[in-house]
Amino acid sequence: MSARTGSFLPPADPPLVAPAGPADPEVTARIAAWLYHEAELLDDGRHDDWLDLLTDDILYQVPIRIHKEVTDSVRVTGVQTNAFHLDEDRTSLQMRVDRIATGFAWAEEPPSRIRHHLSNIRVRHTDHDGELAVRSNLLLYHGRWDRPEYELLSAERHDLIRETDGGYRLARRLVVLDATTIPTLNITFFF
Amino acid sequence: MQGSNVGQGVRGEVDEVLGEAARLLPGGEMPAAVFNDRGIFERERERIFGRSWVYLAHESEIPDRGDYVLRYIVDDPLIIVRDEDGEVRGLHNQCQHRGMQVCRSEAGNASNFRCPYHGWTYRNTGALTGVPVEKQAFGETLDKASLGLVQVPQVDTYNGMIFGCLDPDQVGLAEWLGDIRWYLDILTMRCPSGVEVVGAPQRWRIDVDWKIAGENFVGDSYHTLMTHRSMVELGQAPRDPKYAMYGEQVHIPGRGHGAMLIGAPPGTDLPPFWGYPQDAIDRARTSLPSAEQFDVAYETRIMLSTVFPNLSIHNPIRRPDHRYEGSIPMMTWRVWNPIGPGQVEVFSWFVVDKDMSEEFKRLSSLSYLRSFGISGTFEQDDAEIWTHIARNAGTFSGRNHRVNYQMGMELEVDEQWPGPGVAQPANFTDANLRSFYDRWIEVMR
Ligand code: FES
Ligand SMILES: [Fe+2]
Repeated sequence: MSARTGSFLPPADPPLVAPAGPADPEVTARIAAWLYHEAELLDDGRHDDWLDLLTDDILYQVPIRIHKEVTDSVRVTGVQTNAFHLDEDRTSLQMRVDRIATGFAWAEEPPSRIRHHLSNIRVRHTDHDGELAVRSNLLLYHGRWDRPEYELLSAERHDLIRETDGGYRLARRLVVLDATTIPTLNITFFF
Repeated sequence: MQGSNVGQGVRGEVDEVLGEAARLLPGGEMPAAVFNDRGIFERERERIFGRSWVYLAHESEIPDRGDYVLRYIVDDPLIIVRDEDGEVRGLHNQCQHRGMQVCRSEAGNASNFRCPYHGWTYRNTGALTGVPVEKQAFGETLDKASLGLVQVPQVDTYNGMIFGCLDPDQVGLAEWLGDIRWYLDILTMRCPSGVEVVGAPQRWRIDVDWKIAGENFVGDSYHTLMTHRSMVELGQAPRDPKYAMYGEQVHIPGRGHGAMLIGAPPGTDLPPFWGYPQDAIDRARTSLPSAEQFDVAYETRIMLSTVFPNLSIHNPIRRPDHRYEGSIPMMTWRVWNPIGPGQVEVFSWFVVDKDMSEEFKRLSSLSYLRSFGISGTFEQDDAEIWTHIARNAGTFSGRNHRVNYQMGMELEVDEQWPGPGVAQPANFTDANLRSFYDRWIEVMR
């Protein structure tokens, strides 16, 4: 991956393969519609349906970010490569979803009010046919209980979206948070 | 902000609240006001956090000369650095010229810290070495030797754990820790090279009093079945309602420290020694200081501890996910750093026995991340519940209500227990919590 497009990213397996150029507007529109659909499932709490949008080999990571000086001229700093808020595969995401479904996950019972606001969707081809590298900005609203206060988390998502017979599937998501110290009491939600 | 009245904290009459606490505790009760009150918080800042040995970092976070991390005691920013001579120091991050912060990253490596305001430069020992155009600006008047960064009065380590104390007159670290060291040894000396911290800590804010978190880890086994019911449903904890009762609860009288060592409930086949692999058990047999410590460790499946005031440790048998066959235990250390009445910033670290394989370390980090820390499927629910305790404790009426620590008041002491401290042969007791608050009241009054 070139420095220009984000050498600040932790090494990944499966890798976020080097983008081979922007996708045409039609593909971008299809991907945007797919991401909006995905966000709708998360905002509606339809977690089982959301799991269906993931590949079996998904890698889903939210690295810790720290306040850090510039090194090697990269100005996006502090994204950790060995420390995470979430480091998930298909099975562990299933565990989180199943947990919420037990009805005894007090942190989500009653449910938090979650809203995904997506913008800046950029779709690029990769070296692999049928895999698209997608970056999008996310503003996530988190509200609980009867208080007027809420928390906002801002992030950039680096996704790898694979075309399958069943349609697009998320194969990798790396969430680059803009927060270092996290303002929410916990992370019960998906980015 | 997560609770409407948290962080404001009505200012009650501190001595009145403490007097009430001292009157109630022998009967196993405390006034709720201690969990969200500005006066109590300010007294704690001075008496508890201004005078205690507070956990700051682990030596493995700063292995090389010049390595540093930024850490806090309440709101004091401290540079924890391994200096050019290899010595671990705590330096106040406050330029001696006009008070600017000289270290501006959370972690890194530096031989010098140069202040961005006027350029005074300090060596990583804290010594002031450079003052721009010193001759013309100050002539001969500047006493550079006395203008180094202010050192944390006491910094010391125990088994690689770095503690600092803002009070130069406090007893030394070894005496402060006292007999909890026997239990810290079990957690940190299972292999010859000890333990290591992997990666930066998670940092997040919870509207909860630091004591509520600390008391939970020092002796609240009782909450497991209800708070963590979702994980019981997923088969991540046994269904037996008495499951968290088995084992030993130990406290160090007069110190506030305590530990829980939870064994296998009768009729279950949880593997011994937390489910660590056989080679780890073999290493521990010679690495732990005594045969008694090994024997205790062998029977342990879950261990928790709070070191007074605000370091908590959790080391349970676990699995990376609910479908994983077998056990991959994990360990997390956390500091509940108070930042206001009823508010903490949590620092949560993943810690692992250093001699384990890379494969084990990777899986153990997953066991940790998916159960504890900010997104942990267990800890999510602790945080949710704790915030509402702080919220109630800060209300007009709620602050005058009591909280209850009367469990196990009749329970006998286990005279056979091989370790130091006062042990009870079951975990459904509030003895450790009463001891924790006993110490708290003593220091606060
Ligand atoms: S405040 Fe640091 S050099 Fe002036
Ligand atoms: Fe808990």
